[in-house]
Parts: sequence; structure tokens; C-alpha cells
Amino acid sequence: MALLERSRWYDMARSTNWTPTYVQEEDIFPPDMSDVFGLGMDVWDQYDEPYKVSFRDYVRVQREKDTAAYAVKEALSRSDYYDKAEPGWMTILKSHYGGVVTVEFASASTQARMGRFGKGGGMRNMGAFGSLDEIRHTQTQLVFAHEHLQRGRDPEQFAWAQYGNRTNNWVNLSVRHTFEDIEHTRCAAATAIMTSVFEVTFTNLQFIALAADATKAGDHVFAQLIQSIQSDEARHAQIGMEVMRLMIRAGRKAEVQKLVDISFWRNWRAFAALTGLAMDYYTPLERREHSFKEFMEEWVIAQFDRSLGDLGLERPWYWDIFLDELKWFHHGQHLGVWLLPNTVWWNPPAGVTPAERDWLEQQYPGWNETFGRCWDVITKNVLDGNREKIQLEIFPIICHMSNLAITGIPGDRFRVRDYYLDYEGRRYHFGSEVDRWIFLQEPARYKDYRNILDRYLDGTIQPPTNEGFLQYMALDEKSWGRDAHDYQWADKFPREHRTS
Amino acid sequence: MSKAKGLRTWPHLAARRRRPSEYEIVSTNLHFRTMFEEYSELSPSIPMNRWYRKYVRESPLQHDDWDAFRDPDEVTYRTYTVMQDGQETYVDGLLDEHDELGHDRSLPDDWAATLARLYTPARFMLHAVQMASAYVVITAPSSTVTCCAAYQMSDALRWVARVAYRTSELADHHPGLGFGKNERSIWEQDPAWQGFRELSERALVAYDWGEAVVALNVVVKPAIDEAFLRQLPAAGRRHGDLLLGLLTDAQLRDSERSRRWTKAFVEFARQRAGNEEVLARWVEKWAPLGDRAIEAFTAALPESPEAGATAVRDARAFRSGLGFVS
Repeated sequence: MALLERSRWYDMARSTNWTPTYVQEEDIFPPDMSDVFGLGMDVWDQYDEPYKVSFRDYVRVQREKDTAAYAVKEALSRSDYYDKAEPGWMTILKSHYGGVVTVEFASASTQARMGRFGKGGGMRNMGAFGSLDEIRHTQTQLVFAHEHLQRGRDPEQFAWAQYGNRTNNWVNLSVRHTFEDIEHTRCAAATAIMTSVFEVTFTNLQFIALAADATKAGDHVFAQLIQSIQSDEARHAQIGMEVMRLMIRAGRKAEVQKLVDISFWRNWRAFAALTGLAMDYYTPLERREHSFKEFMEEWVIAQFDRSLGDLGLERPWYWDIFLDELKWFHHGQHLGVWLLPNTVWWNPPAGVTPAERDWLEQQYPGWNETFGRCWDVITKNVLDGNREKIQLEIFPIICHMSNLAITGIPGDRFRVRDYYLDYEGRRYHFGSEVDRWIFLQEPARYKDYRNILDRYLDGTIQPPTNEGFLQYMALDEKSWGRDAHDYQWADKFPREHRTS
Repeated sequence: MSKAKGLRTWPHLAARRRRPSEYEIVSTNLHFRTMFEEYSELSPSIPMNRWYRKYVRESPLQHDDWDAFRDPDEVTYRTYTVMQDGQETYVDGLLDEHDELGHDRSLPDDWAATLARLYTPARFMLHAVQMASAYVVITAPSSTVTCCAAYQMSDALRWVARVAYRTSELADHHPGLGFGKNERSIWEQDPAWQGFRELSERALVAYDWGEAVVALNVVVKPAIDEAFLRQLPAAGRRHGDLLLGLLTDAQLRDSERSRRWTKAFVEFARQRAGNEEVLARWVEKWAPLGDRAIEAFTAALPESPEAGATAVRDARAFRSGLGFVS
């Protein structure tokens, strides 16, 4: 074929800025939608996306990828793997699908926002491809989740994949608040930067790392699905990296750093609650590749240092706080979810058999003296048949930023703190100094938010009872969670653990 | 866990007693930005929440259930890439074949000059369609409309790339005509383009989401179809340019898909009392701009005195096929 090389015409396909005269340029690119930093068109005209793709190549490559991914789906339909898969593994699938899939769909709009309001022609084109990618991710995962509906194993929990983020479940509220802040409510430039932090570092964690666990678990269907999805990320994740480069060259490094700092923390909290639990408690012990902390160090921290270090950015100011939290934060989240399983749409395993506790102690020295102390009490109550003592009766205090329970370190090294703030006559609660700092960067963005506890206390949730609470969170007996192993894990403890 | 009975499909599709298509499984009822009092959980006063309240929630175009809209073609990402991969292979074949035939070399100079004036600057216009489609992606209160707009946005990107490709080829064979150099200034200054440029710029700032769909899909794109994708290649065929018409016919395939979902959208919107007047008002506002764009462009076509009237008539025929009188 005597076709031209892409480089012969590529620049022209992204040289698409002109000087409008029938309307004002700032009507086409309102600062709030495009660029609140006020960089000139001369800066944006330099936008040069590192990963280039043509429409022609895009549709061919993506078609091939989908052929492979959907072939695996056919295998899923025929296989009985999922009829027999461990409850812990099924839990991971449900929590992933229910939290993630419609966030992907919303990201199609995030990418299209860059496709419309990005001031660089190349940025707009990459946003268009990115938008298609996110539709792909949504639709492929919906097909797979839909398969699970028909298998009869907690179908209502798999149905959360389609509507979960359309409910006021506390987990989905957390997901929405986080991703709306990062991806959906800022100008295209800021959105690009914050979304890139999310995609370059954290999606690697959920997708690549989980794929490794999935392969070990024998779930080749899920492994292949999410690896296929992640192969798209590298390209559109770069959109914001180039925005960062341009802004830093234009002398706006401090603004970029702040956006990176906010995005990294908000992502950290969300992924700790989602992936931390999956890796250290839900994945059956014999299938665990690494601990959550190890994966964070290998994928997130290393990737972050590489990508953002290359741009001349610093590690966020709170890095020591983050490194400390890596050791303990998600353990408290797991306790909270396990103690309130009827507030989530999956069945949480306890993950604290003697062998599992040994593993946890090995990975997180001091676990037994801290979180282990809570589990000692819980285990004893399970063994003694005191079920009423292992359900929380009240909802914990919720962080006004992450929307996660405010947790800390229990037991011998007790350290729990509400980083509260009194602002304009209202008290806000935060799970960390960093969450509070984020609020203070732009209080107007956050101050009117009412978290789920506020809604309980201000009468929004009716009736103001446990039943009303569960109804508000769209859960019922078919969809809410229960211990994944029906407490049989406690039988692994020797008899002397029991009271009588 | 004992195995209970499965669910046939998502709850919102289960009420109808038939199997859902893959399209319905993967495209329907997916937005959460429409489900709550405000667009997001962030404060109501932030610019983005205010934007959505003004341009989406408070649009004069209303419906009780935008989620019920369906793309008549039921395009999914998977079928889109299969379809367009095939179409791009076809277009690659056209380009390759015509290159081997020495097509561009044998184009008369006057026609090559027409292409430099009336064809290659179109990348700006088509990119404006790409951007305007992206706006519908981000504002539509239904995931099914968002998906239609996303594939439409991608179609536009496809043709910007092909025009860029042709620009480079034509520059090789007709140096000295400004291919690859003059397009922006022609787009900005040549009288032939000022109708389309004005139409594009105004459509880009039609921020009410319903007006954005109507302006783009009922007026702008059909005007481009008639003037640029039909009348220009008709003139081309009289000047020995066979490739242009083959390319624009391929592009019209994408346009026809847009027309089909546009028709479905208009019919769907009409279900709600009051929308008919809103839609008609918008069409009445934008149609004259579309006609002016067609006229300015076609006036520059060589030996084509009928082109303008034909294109205006055919754009109007599309609108009247949708039930509009303007």
C-alpha cells in the first residue's frame, strides 16, 4: 500500500485552533470550563501529546482487543468457575463492579470535556479518543457483570454495577464525591491534571494488581478483561501529563503541585478502601501475590515518582503522613465494613483466621496488638454465638471529604482522631489532616455538602431508623451483605478461644 | 451461599418482558449526574453545578424520562469499532488505488486550486462539529444520547484526519497552491467560508443542551452534508475528480447514521407537551444561518449555479422530514 506515513499529516489534524470573530474566544472557551489559569493560546498551541494515534489505527487495534476480550466472555458463559469460586473472590468482583463501572462511564464525559473545552487541538483529539476508551471500559464490564446476573449467585449484588452510583449508598456517595471533585467539576486544564494522577498511578493499582491476583485465583476471565482495559489507559492518561508540562514551563508549577497533591490524596483514600480491602482481606490467602502496602509501593509510589518526578514535581507535602497511613488506614476501613455488612452490596470476608492473622502480622508488624485486639473480641463473640455483639448499632462518624469512616489505630497503640474544623458556624469532621487541608484550599467547593450522617441528623433520611437508613441507601435483604463465609472462619480457632 | 434464582437483566430493563439487546445492557441508565438535586455533591454555587442547572436542568426542553431514548441503530463501542475499522479499510483502499492511478497529478490546476480553497480548509469546520458533538456528550441527561454523540464526535475526528491526509497528498502533487499552509487564513477570511464559520462559532456557544443538539444535528451537519459532501464533489466530478466523491460518500454514511438518531431524538422529545414549540423555535432560529452558510459556500463552486438552491432545498427536506416547517 502506498499510503502516507502518519507523521505527514498528523500535525494538521491537530492544528485546529482559529481566531473566532463572530463570537468571542472566551465565549467558546469560558475560563471556568477551559482554563482558570489564564494561559494564552500561544501556550496551548504548543500542546504535544506524547502518545499519538490515528482514528484509522485506533479502530483497528481496539477492534482486535475487543475480539480477544469478548472471546473470553464466551468462555465465561460456558464455564462453571464462578459457580464454585471462593466467596472472597466473588466479593471482589461485586465491590469492583458496583463502585467502578459507572465511574468509567462518567469519565467518558471527563474526556469529552477535554475534547470540547481543552484549548490545545491535540488535547481535544486525545480527549475524543479517551472518551471512546471510557465507553469501552464501561460497556465491556457491564457485559461481564450482566453475565453474573443470570448465574444466581447474589445477582442483586452484581446488579449494583449498573445502578450503584445512582444511589445514596454511603460507599457510592464516597465514590461520587471523590470523582466529582477530581474529574467533573473543574476546568479542562485542572481536570486533565487531576485525572492523570488518578490514571497514571492509581488505576494501575486496581487493574494491573488485581489482574495478578485474578490470575492466581484462576479467574482468567476477569484477569484478561481488566488487563485489556488497562492497555487503553497509558494513552489517555498522558493527556494531563502534557498539560502539567505546559503549565510548569509557563511558570505555574505551584498550581500544578497543589492539584496533584489534592488528587493524589483523594485517590489514596478511595483506593485504600476499595483495593486495600480486596488485597489484604478478600483475596483468599493462598492466592495473595503481595500485600496492599507492597503493591502500593511497587505500582503507585514508584509510578508516581517516575512520572511526576520527571516533570520536576515534588512528592506531596504530606508524604510522611501517607507512608504512615499505608501501614494502618485500610485495616480500620475493613473493620468498619465487616461490622456493617448490611450497608454495602457485597459479602465481606472477615479475613482473620489464624493463618490470615499470621500473614497480616508478617506484612504489617504490630497488627495483632492493634487491629488484632478488636478481632480478638469479635472472634470470641462469634465463637460464643453472641451475634448481637458483632453488629454495630450506630453509624460511625464520617469524614466530610472522603466520606469514609473516621478510623485510626485501636488496641495497644491506640490513636484515633477526628480532625475537625469549625467553619462559618458549622462543624466538619475529617479523617486526616490532609482531608481538612483539602477543604481549606477552597471551602466554597465543599462547605455545603451534607454527608450521610448529616442527612440522618437533619431529617433527610426518613424514617430516621435503621430501616430508613438502609432504604435510603437502596439496600434490602437481597442486596445487602453478610459475612462471606457465614462465620465458619471462626471454626479455625482452637476450642480454648471459646468462653465455655 | 445457596444458589437462588438469577436475574434476567438489570432491574430497569426487567419490566419489559423481552430479552434486552447487548446495546440496552451496556448503554442505558448509566449517568449519575442526572439523579440528584444537583449535578454533583459539591456545593451548588460552584461554576459547574451552576452550568448544569442553567443549561441542562432548566432547559426549556424537558422530558420525564430521557433515559428511555434509544439509538435506532443500537451502536455500541464494540460494533462501532468493527464497523469503522471496515469503513477505514475501504477508505485506505480508495486512497491507495487513486494514488497508484496518479489521480492527484492529473487533476487540472483550476480544480486543484478549488480544492485548496473549498476542501482542505474544511478541517476547521469538521473539527467544530467534533467539538460541538463533545458538548452533547458532556451535557446530555441520558447515557443513550451521550453515546450517540460520542460516536458522532469520533466520526468527525475521523474526517478531520482524512482531510488532513488529503491536504498532505495534494501538497505533494500541486505545490505552490498553499496546501497545508493557507487553510486557516482561508477559513478565517475567504467569503466562501464565512457562513460556515459563523454557523460553527455560534453553534459552539449554544450552551443549552437541547439547543446544542438541534443546532448541530438538525441544521449544521445537514448543511455540511448538502454543500460540502454533495455539491462540492458534484462539481469535482465535472473536473475529473472522482476520488473526492468517493470519500464524501463514505462520510455521508456516517452522516446518515447521525440523521437517524436525530430523527429518533426529535420524535422522542415530541412525546412531551411543550417540546414541539421549543424545537420549532430553535429550528426557526438556526435554519437561516444554515442556509446562508450553504449559499456562501456553494456560490464559490465553479460552474454550479444550481448548487446553492439544491443544497438549501435538500437541507430543508431533511428538516421537513423531521416535521419542521422552517
